[in-house]
Amino acid sequence: MLSTRLLTKRYGSLTAVEDLDLEVGAGELFGFLGPNGAGKTTTIKMLVGLLRPTSGSARVAGIDITAEPEKAKALIGYVPDAATLYDKLSAREFLEFSGDLYHVERRLRDRRIAALLKLFDLQERGDDFLSGYSRGMRQKVSLAAALLHDPQVLFLDEPTVGLDPQSARQMKDILQDFCREGKTVFFSTHILEIAERMCTRLAIINHGRLVAIGSLQELRHMVGQDRQSLEQIFLELTGSREDDVSAVLRGLES
Amino acid sequence: MLWRVQLQMFINQTVRSRQAGRIVGTIAGAAVILFAWAWEGIITWVGVLASHRVPVRIDTVHLLSVAFLAYTGVLVFSSLVFSLNALLLNPDLDMLLAAPRSVESVLASRMVVQVLRLFLLSLLFTGPALVVLAIANHNLLIPLAFATLFLLYPIFVVVIISLVSLLLVRVIPVGRGREILTLFGVGLAIAINLANFLLNPALRDPGFARRPGTALSLPDIPAASSAWFPSGWAGRSGSAVLAGDWQTAGRWILLLLATSAVVFAAGSVLSGRLYMAGWIQAVPPRRRHATPRVRRLKAAVPLLSPVLAAIVIKDWRMRTRDLAQLVRFIMPVVFLFVIFGLRFPRLLAAVQSLGDGPPAAVIGLIPAWILLFSLSISLGLSAVSLEGKNFWVYAASPNTTLRFLQAKCWSAALPTATVVAVAAVAAEILIRPGLLWAVTAVVLAIAQAAAVTILMVGIGAVFARFDWTDARRMMHPVGIFIGMGLFSIVSAASALLLVISIALAAATRFPLFTTWLAAMTISVGGAIAVAALSILFGNQRLRGLEVG
Repeated sequence: MLSTRLLTKRYGSLTAVEDLDLEVGAGELFGFLGPNGAGKTTTIKMLVGLLRPTSGSARVAGIDITAEPEKAKALIGYVPDAATLYDKLSAREFLEFSGDLYHVERRLRDRRIAALLKLFDLQERGDDFLSGYSRGMRQKVSLAAALLHDPQVLFLDEPTVGLDPQSARQMKDILQDFCREGKTVFFSTHILEIAERMCTRLAIINHGRLVAIGSLQELRHMVGQDRQSLEQIFLELTGSREDDVSAVLRGLES
Repeated sequence: MLWRVQLQMFINQTVRSRQAGRIVGTIAGAAVILFAWAWEGIITWVGVLASHRVPVRIDTVHLLSVAFLAYTGVLVFSSLVFSLNALLLNPDLDMLLAAPRSVESVLASRMVVQVLRLFLLSLLFTGPALVVLAIANHNLLIPLAFATLFLLYPIFVVVIISLVSLLLVRVIPVGRGREILTLFGVGLAIAINLANFLLNPALRDPGFARRPGTALSLPDIPAASSAWFPSGWAGRSGSAVLAGDWQTAGRWILLLLATSAVVFAAGSVLSGRLYMAGWIQAVPPRRRHATPRVRRLKAAVPLLSPVLAAIVIKDWRMRTRDLAQLVRFIMPVVFLFVIFGLRFPRLLAAVQSLGDGPPAAVIGLIPAWILLFSLSISLGLSAVSLEGKNFWVYAASPNTTLRFLQAKCWSAALPTATVVAVAAVAAEILIRPGLLWAVTAVVLAIAQAAAVTILMVGIGAVFARFDWTDARRMMHPVGIFIGMGLFSIVSAASALLLVISIALAAATRFPLFTTWLAAMTISVGGAIAVAALSILFGNQRLRGLEVG
C-alpha cells in the first residue's frame, strides 16, 4: 500500500531524511517513531506530497506521489501535528469545504459529516467557530476531515497530542477499525505506550536514518532482549542520555 | 532589559537573519530612510532660505502647539495599539509577570519601552529638519532641546493610555483584541479625515467663521496653545528654543518634566494596583456560531465547479466574519464617501458641464477606479496569502495549484467587479454622458476590474506569505509596490489610449465611438494579457512551494 525507495530530503547541508526504504502493507497500523528532530514529520510531509523529496521515490497504492500527486492525494488522509484550521469557519463548514476539495458528492458528504460529528461528540458544537475549539477538539475535526473522503491510507503526525484520555482511546478504536477494513494507518508518536499496544509494525528513525523496522517482537530480537519494553528498545537504538541528564542536574544544584 | 531584547530581535530578524531577501530589504529600507532624510533636509533648507528672503510672520507658539496636539492623536492611537497588543495579543506578558519582579516594574518597563520607541520615531521623522534648523540658526542646541521634548511629551499619554487599556481589557473578549484594534483604527482614521476636512484651512469653506486675529493658514483650535495643556507647554518651549530664549524654554520643559515624572510614578503604582485587583482578566470568549446561509451562498456561485465554489464561499466567509478582513473591503467605500461625498455637488456640476461623450463617461469612472485600486490591492494581492498556515489543507488535497489560483481569481474578482459595477453605474446615472457612452463605459470598467484584480491575484501568488499571524502582515511589501506600480501603468496606458482615440477621431473623422471602443479594448486586452502572465508566474511559484 505504501512504499518508499531511497527517500531523501536535504535542506542545504542539513540532511533531514536519508535513503529511507519502507514497505507498509494494506491493513497495517504502522508506527513511526523517533526522537525530536529525527525526520518523522519531514517523512510524513513527503509521503503526503507537501514536501518534494531531494531524491528517491514514494508510492501510495502504487501511485508515485511526485509524478502523479493529485491522483495519489485522492487516496490519502492527513492529520498534521498541531493542525491549524480556519478559525472563522464552523466545524461543519470546514468539513464541507474539505469534502468539496476531495470531490465527495454533496449528499454523501453531508451524510458522512453528520456521522463523523456524532462519532467525535462534536454534534452540539458543530456550528461553533473553530476559533473557540480546544486543541483536542481541533485534532478531532482534523481527523474527521481526513476520514471524510474515505481514504486508503491515513497519515497522522502525533495524533494523540492534546487529546483527553477518553478521546485518545476513541481515536485508537477508530484507527484500529479503519485498519480492519484493509486500509493503512501510518502514524508518528512520542507516546511509546500507545505505539506498543496499537501498532502491527514499527519503524524507528534517528538523525534522518532508519535504524530499525519490524514488529515489536522483531525489534526485541534485534536488540537481543526478549522482554524489553518498546521504551527500552527505543532508548537503546536511539542512544540513551540518562547519565548526561543526571550530570547536568547535579551541575545546576552546585 | 525589554528594550535590549527588542533590539536583539530586530537585529536577528534583519542583518543576522542570513536570508538574502531580509538583508536586502533592510539595506533598501535604510536607503529609503536616507533618501527621505536628504529630501527633508533639502526642503527645510529651502524653507529657511525662502523665509530669509520673504519674511513671514508665523505664530510659532500656535503652530508648534497645534503640531504637538496633532502628535497627541498619533500618540493616543499608537499607545492604545501597543498597550492592547501587549495585554491581549503578545504572549510574553505572562512570562514577564512570572519573573521575580514586581508587577509595577514590569508594567512600568512596558511604558518605558513605548516611550523610547515613540521618541526614536519622532527623531526619525524630524531629525534632519532639526539639524538644518540648528545650522541655519547657528544654534546647535535646537536638536537637543527638541529631543528632550520628544522624550518627555509622550509620557503622560503613554501612562494614561496604559491605564485605560488595563480597564478596557476588562470588557474586550479574549480573542477579539485584534478586531477591536482594527475597529478602533478605522474609527480614528475616519475621525482624522473628518477633522482634517473641518479644520484644515485649505479644505474649509471660505465662509467658515474664524476667531479674529488667528492666522489664516493655521487650523483654528483654541485649546491647542492653552497654557493649561501639555501641547501648549511643548509649543511654548519649542517656540522659545527656536527664538533662542533658553530661560523661557527651560521653564516650560521643567514643567513638562515635573508633570511627566509625577504622572509616570503615579501611573506605575496605579497600573500595578489595577492589575493586582484583577482588572487584567479579560472577558471570557463568547461562543460564536456560524449562521447557516449556505443555500444563498451556493446560489451565488452556481456555475463554478464544487472545488472552485468551495474556495470562493470559504473566502467570502473568512473575509466577512473577520472584522480585520471585512474592514479591508469596507474601508475604501467609506473613504470614497469621505473624499467625494463631502464635495459631491461641486464635482458633479463640473463633470456634467463636459456634456455627452467619452470624457464625461470616463471621468465618471474615477470613483470606481479608486475603488478598484483599493479593492484589487486589498482583496487581490491578499487572496492567496489569506490561506496563511491553513494552506496545508489545500496543498494536501488532490487539486492542482492552477485550480487553486483560478478559485482565488473568482474569489477576489467577483466582489471587486460587483462593487466597481455598482459605483460605475451610479456615477454614470448621475452624470448622464449619453446612454451608449455610459453603458460601454460600465462594461469596460467591469472588464478592467476583473483583469486588474486577476493581475493582483497573480502578483499576490508570486509574493504570497503563509507564515503571518497578524493580518496586517499578510501582504509582502515588494508585492504591494509592484502591484501599485502595475496599476499605475494600466491607469496611465488607459488614459493615454483615451486621449489617442479622441485625437484620432478628430484627425481621421472616424466615429469617436469606434476609436474609443478600439482604444479601450486594447487597454482591457493589455490588462488581461498581463494578468494571464502574472497567473502563470504565480502558479509557477506555488508549484515550487513546499509546505514545511
